[in-house]
Amino acid sequence: MNHAFYLWMSYGATALAVLAEIVALRARRARALRLIEEERDLEAQD
Amino acid sequence: MNWFYFASPPTFYRLAGWLAPWFFVVAAVLGAAGVYIGLVEAPTDAQQGEVYRVIFIHVPAAWMSMFLYFVMACYGGVSLTFNTRLAAMMARAIAPTGAMFTFVALWTGSFWGRPTWGTYWVWDARLTSELVLLFLYFGFMALASAFEDPRRGDRASALLALIGLVNLPIIYFSVLWWNTLHQGSSVSFKGTSMHVAMLTGMLLMAFSFWMYSIGTALVRVRAVILERERRSHWVRALAART
Repeated sequence: MNHAFYLWMSYGATALAVLAEIVALRARRARALRLIEEERDLEAQD
Repeated sequence: MNWFYFASPPTFYRLAGWLAPWFFVVAAVLGAAGVYIGLVEAPTDAQQGEVYRVIFIHVPAAWMSMFLYFVMACYGGVSLTFNTRLAAMMARAIAPTGAMFTFVALWTGSFWGRPTWGTYWVWDARLTSELVLLFLYFGFMALASAFEDPRRGDRASALLALIGLVNLPIIYFSVLWWNTLHQGSSVSFKGTSMHVAMLTGMLLMAFSFWMYSIGTALVRVRAVILERERRSHWVRALAART
């Protein structure tokens, strides 16, 4: 098989892994902020 | 300078938010230079041809996988010894990035192994011990989130991280201790046999991965602080402003 396949599978997978981690980081922060808001709203209702 | 001032989650939260973008900028600049040198400037290898260019990802990722585990275990040790909240949060923040780099090292290694060794995987001492490292990261993350009380999760996972430290010298010296298919180190403190362009590209990528790891750890620790301190007044006030 062409060597380009092995190279691009390596570089491409690394780029994807980095991208996935950044997306997951943003999602985790958004989830944490949403949780704080939900708890505050629940306490306000009580 | 009072270093314990920065061990307070509210202070560190602000500091991490200020520092993280700078680490990402440096990582992007170094990474772009490293990829350019690795794919364009570095000469073709006499024996392996073009496929050797996987080293510009594979070697720095493997270095980071071991280095991040060591740093994570140190934070775990500090959290166990001094019972500091922030050290445990830092250990939790480092683990996913360490696991990501371990996965990248294994993945790129297999795509380097296929054209050079003729196989994607072999139960060689270096490959197997690196796979054990990936399982140690998974175990750390699973154990840290297995308890309802996060402080208990911190202690259990810190202990696992410290025990797992024994795997690091096994990975590093595996190519010397056993007869492995994986080649020995091309770079050591004594010097290197590599072409200067190859070495430059690899070191640039290693520094880029290092800066990226610090950036992601800082961003993640901010999310961990928000999760853990969400009932405190300062986090409530902060969330109300965003």
